[in-house]
Amino acid sequence: MRDDLSCRGPLLRAALRRVVGLLPMTIRLLKIRLSTIARSRGLGLMIGLLVTAPGLAGDVTGQPEFQGQPERPSPVGPSEQIDGDTPHFTNDIVPILTKAGCNTGVCHAKAGGGQNGFQLSLLGFEPDEDYDHLVREGRGRRLSPAAPDQSLLLLKATGRRPHGGGVRIEPDSIHYRQLHDWIAAGAPRGAADAPRLMSLEVQPPDEVLAKGASRQIRAIAHYSNDSERDVTSLALYESNQPAMLETSDSGRIDASDIPGKAAIMVRYQGHVAVYNAAIPAGATVAPLADPENVVDRFLFANLGKLGIPAASVCNDATFLRRATLDIAGRLPTVAEAESFLSSDDPERRRKRIDALLDSPDYADFFANKWTALLKNRRDDRSDITSNFAFHAWVRDSLLANQPYDQIVRQLLAATGTVIGNPPVAWYKRVKDPKQQIEDVAQLFLGVRMQCAQCHHHPFERWSQDDYYSLAAFFSQVGRKPTAVRGEDLIFHERGIAQTQNVKSGQWLRPAALGTDVGEIPAGEDPRLRLADWMSSADNPFFAKALVNRYWKHFFSIGLIEPEDDIRDTNPPTNPELLQALEQEFIASGFDLKQLIRVITTSRSYQLSSHTNELNRSDRQNYSHHYPTRLQAEVLLDAIDQLTGARTDFANLPIGTRAVALPDNSYNRSSPFLKVFGRPDSSSVCECERVQSASLAQSLHLLSASDIQNKLAFPGGRAERLSQSDGVSPENAVAELYLAAFGRYPSPSENDLAVHYLLEPRNDSDGKPLGTREARKQNLQDLIWALINTKEFMFNH
Amino acid sequence: MSRSIRQRRAEDAAAPSSTHCPGPSGDPLQRGTRRSFMRMGIAGFASLSLPGMLRLRAASPTAQQAKTAVIMVWQPGGCSHIDTYDPKPLAGTEYRGPFGRIATKVPGMQFTELLPRQAAIADKFTVLRSMHQTAGGHPAGSMQLLSGDSDTRDKPKPRLPDWMSVANYLRSNDPAGNDPERRNPLPRYVGINPPTQYNGPAYLGDAYSPFAVTGDPNSPDFVVPNIGLTDSHQVRRLNRRVDLRQKLDDLSRAFDEYGQAGTLDEFESQAMALLTNPETKQAFDLSQEDDATRDRYGRNTWGQQLLLARRLVEAGVEVLTSSLRGPLCGRVQNWDDHAVNHHVFDALRFRAAAYDQAVTALIEDIHERGLQDRVLVVVTGEFGRTPKISHQPSTGAGNASAPAGTQQPGRDHWPRAFSNLWAGGGIQPGQCIGATDRRGEDVIERHCGPGDFLATLYHHLGIDASNVFLEDFNGRPTPIVDHGRPIKELMRST
Repeated sequence: MRDDLSCRGPLLRAALRRVVGLLPMTIRLLKIRLSTIARSRGLGLMIGLLVTAPGLAGDVTGQPEFQGQPERPSPVGPSEQIDGDTPHFTNDIVPILTKAGCNTGVCHAKAGGGQNGFQLSLLGFEPDEDYDHLVREGRGRRLSPAAPDQSLLLLKATGRRPHGGGVRIEPDSIHYRQLHDWIAAGAPRGAADAPRLMSLEVQPPDEVLAKGASRQIRAIAHYSNDSERDVTSLALYESNQPAMLETSDSGRIDASDIPGKAAIMVRYQGHVAVYNAAIPAGATVAPLADPENVVDRFLFANLGKLGIPAASVCNDATFLRRATLDIAGRLPTVAEAESFLSSDDPERRRKRIDALLDSPDYADFFANKWTALLKNRRDDRSDITSNFAFHAWVRDSLLANQPYDQIVRQLLAATGTVIGNPPVAWYKRVKDPKQQIEDVAQLFLGVRMQCAQCHHHPFERWSQDDYYSLAAFFSQVGRKPTAVRGEDLIFHERGIAQTQNVKSGQWLRPAALGTDVGEIPAGEDPRLRLADWMSSADNPFFAKALVNRYWKHFFSIGLIEPEDDIRDTNPPTNPELLQALEQEFIASGFDLKQLIRVITTSRSYQLSSHTNELNRSDRQNYSHHYPTRLQAEVLLDAIDQLTGARTDFANLPIGTRAVALPDNSYNRSSPFLKVFGRPDSSSVCECERVQSASLAQSLHLLSASDIQNKLAFPGGRAERLSQSDGVSPENAVAELYLAAFGRYPSPSENDLAVHYLLEPRNDSDGKPLGTREARKQNLQDLIWALINTKEFMFNH
Repeated sequence: MSRSIRQRRAEDAAAPSSTHCPGPSGDPLQRGTRRSFMRMGIAGFASLSLPGMLRLRAASPTAQQAKTAVIMVWQPGGCSHIDTYDPKPLAGTEYRGPFGRIATKVPGMQFTELLPRQAAIADKFTVLRSMHQTAGGHPAGSMQLLSGDSDTRDKPKPRLPDWMSVANYLRSNDPAGNDPERRNPLPRYVGINPPTQYNGPAYLGDAYSPFAVTGDPNSPDFVVPNIGLTDSHQVRRLNRRVDLRQKLDDLSRAFDEYGQAGTLDEFESQAMALLTNPETKQAFDLSQEDDATRDRYGRNTWGQQLLLARRLVEAGVEVLTSSLRGPLCGRVQNWDDHAVNHHVFDALRFRAAAYDQAVTALIEDIHERGLQDRVLVVVTGEFGRTPKISHQPSTGAGNASAPAGTQQPGRDHWPRAFSNLWAGGGIQPGQCIGATDRRGEDVIERHCGPGDFLATLYHHLGIDASNVFLEDFNGRPTPIVDHGRPIKELMRST
């Protein structure tokens, strides 16, 4: 019996060293490698690799698992081996282990040797290694050809010997029989020239599904000898919208009552296929009479197809607040609201959008977004120069509406020093070429390559070769220290760009996600080729990633979610719309302001957030506006704006707004920003910004001194409204509503608030306060209450 | 099966207590425990969610562990193991230091003379002498021990969440466990002058940071902000504001269907409870303790910190950290006893009395109040101090440091071996686990690393460390501990 009770790190490492003959350092790498399994971000937390742990759903619901289900389709059953009688390890055995969940990241493909020292490769991507582990290791106990039933593999998998993973395979199942027969046959590796799996097909690939409908989908594997095989019972299934479409381990799918679009990712042996379902709501929706632009055309067409009615277009006050928050990151001022609400110019919304786009507030707000993603982080006090320079460069580029491809090119191919060329600061923050390509791929291409550094991407076509040939673009980035501490001079180092695939040992020339970019001479900076490839009109990723990211900014939910996880197996909810926007963006010369204009002038963007029975549950087709919480910086500015206070930040001019802060260092000095989730610029993912509520936030709003000080700010709104005699309570309430919500109060709101303002107050000793003081306190209370309403905290 | 367990227990109890640090033993009872944990974990991930896992756990006999708690007493900078829990009388003078040895209540285990009170109650806790990690800097060392990041390079920010945030996160997102019934207004994770410099919630988000109490709880004007407001005028005003807010919200109900809005209200009422509930006020109010108890912990910052820790845990806080730093440490206010900072031996002597008294009182109190099964106390720093004494000029005069320029002895960072103290948590007390070589430089018996340290804490909290994965910013499932397993001798024995 293994000594599994000791602190086993060192023991395990020693054992591994013996077995694999690796150096300790490599073992650490190996650990990291095997634990890196990417998965789309959905549940904040997950236990293990969900999709690859089938079997237990059956246990939980008490349904039998693999056998005897009437709907199971297998005219060509899993019992049939592709090349006749001899089971082939890669083609026949590994899929069974994968289906049983043996080789998930938390089980035997777990980093550092697998559970209990039995190591398999993640999802069976390395069958040759698996063969050695299974057949050769463990003193041969794992397989006993003389008495197959006594093989540890089968004893454990069936639970006849205690198994941490529980019962994975039933003794009377076909899979058990296959494993048994393979062991009995001497556990052959199988013919080297056996047919290879070429592709996976799902039947049907797409269809319209009624609400509540069920059906069986099938997975068909195609092999190099033109044969095909029904692998439905061996494939793995995962829904991208489990609330709408559920799937069982056997490929049975069930639609719920929620209308919309959903997809099932089907995986088998490193190949993926996607089943798409449209689930209509069933209402008859009249086509939109006059679409404003492409957004409306495709968005309403989709709603019509799905039978989901759209909400009506929102009123002027809602539009003004929404557009001002989304474009300029601030509330409309009282004057702006008054003027907009009294305007009868039919073009007022369009004009307002143009005005906002031309304002420096737009550049501040979007620079705030981009600098966080580009990791403009202050790790050391001396970083301040580069932080300020980089922020200014981003902001100026946005203000001047530099074409997006130009901005990215300047960043990617930056050379020189931070002072001479601020985008160099990115290379100061992101030093490792691997980190560089991971960031570039995720941020500018919407492709998450992290997995492929160490193993074949589990949901994607990216291999390790793809990863390292992308890294090769950055292999000739040279660095020289400068006189300024922590600052390097970035230059192109002459030479042939190449990077070694750590697994195969092969040196790879630059290639852009499978695209050949041609021979790059030693004297040419390969990063320029990458930039050329990105901004070419037929690049399938570059424009799509940006358009989807901006769409999400304005609609809260990306056409592809998460917004930076674009892959064949994660289809957009409205592909036609995404494609049309992409084409517009490319045709406009990557004009960011124009893109925002197209989005925000659409009627789709201007739909109300009010719902009805038929569209309430819709969370992906934009039938109504989805409210979002104000982000930390915007909320702080909004509170300052409403209270008439201001927040002072070190090293910046008085009156600098929180959205205009250049870097993350202010999160330390402002507890507000930290508590409300301003990101620390440490991730290229927008998800670093936490928008969810917390106890600390509520405590902060209720009692933190900075909020109290803002309410009582000398010369602030509460003081001013309580001290000028000319302001009636009604006028005060109207001003507060305009400042907070950009609208006038309703009669009932007015009554409630005015009544509150007129209430008498006592001091802490119980003595009545003077009218003015009482009014001021009541105004502070009212402003506090307005700040804490949902209408204030949300952009709606 | 249950009969054999009982038998085994009886045998254990009958076994003579070991006089030297025992090595690992193959206790089938412990194996059984571990396995049932694993089973639950595996079933949980197959049911595709944490709730699934916790539901299964709730149905299992270990469900009562849900309310277990941990107090971590942190020695920032690292305590010299050779001068405290792991004396090396046979090492040369350039190693061993000036302190004499004393016997402890546990036969065969000796401490230095700095810890007489702990020595006298050594049968109430367990010392692990064989902890080690691989990072020599404070940031990386702290990140290794608290978050399990094996990186040896110092980083300004942690890459992985520390165990405290993880525990807070897992328990807060536990809809099938005791969470919805949690009516306790106290925050789950509280730090009293907590260690926060080199750790934090990383990708879990700041919502899972501690409710931090700072200041000197021994000071007569010590107040915890945001807790149990006593000013009734203020409370009335807060209530009025919240009431007004609710009425205004009711008038524009555009957001009814959005879950987020409901969450806001829920947090607001929790915050109001924290602010206005007299119970929370009481939990933080040390004046509720009688003078004898306060004296017993020591009328100083550390003593009252640990008393407050006990009080809060008793009142329902589940994760509590408290860092022993400040003027009681000496000139540089922490345990970083390089010769340039402190005269290491003066410094240890300077802080010994307060330290010994506070930790002793905490351990005794935990036992006397019947918390010894539910509450696990661990005392540790990020590493030990270099067994070989170095001599360098002081950089400044102060407590435990000679005037600038004076040569004085110091000890540097030593991750290769250090000790930590474990009490409560249902652990068999009176053990001494592991050993270092004759100079205290390297572990020679019962190697335990950060992964084991963390898995042990998680185990006490009912979290199966080997099977819980959290998504990082890239959506990559990241294990909460990627190596190590609970230290068997430090697992619940009852």
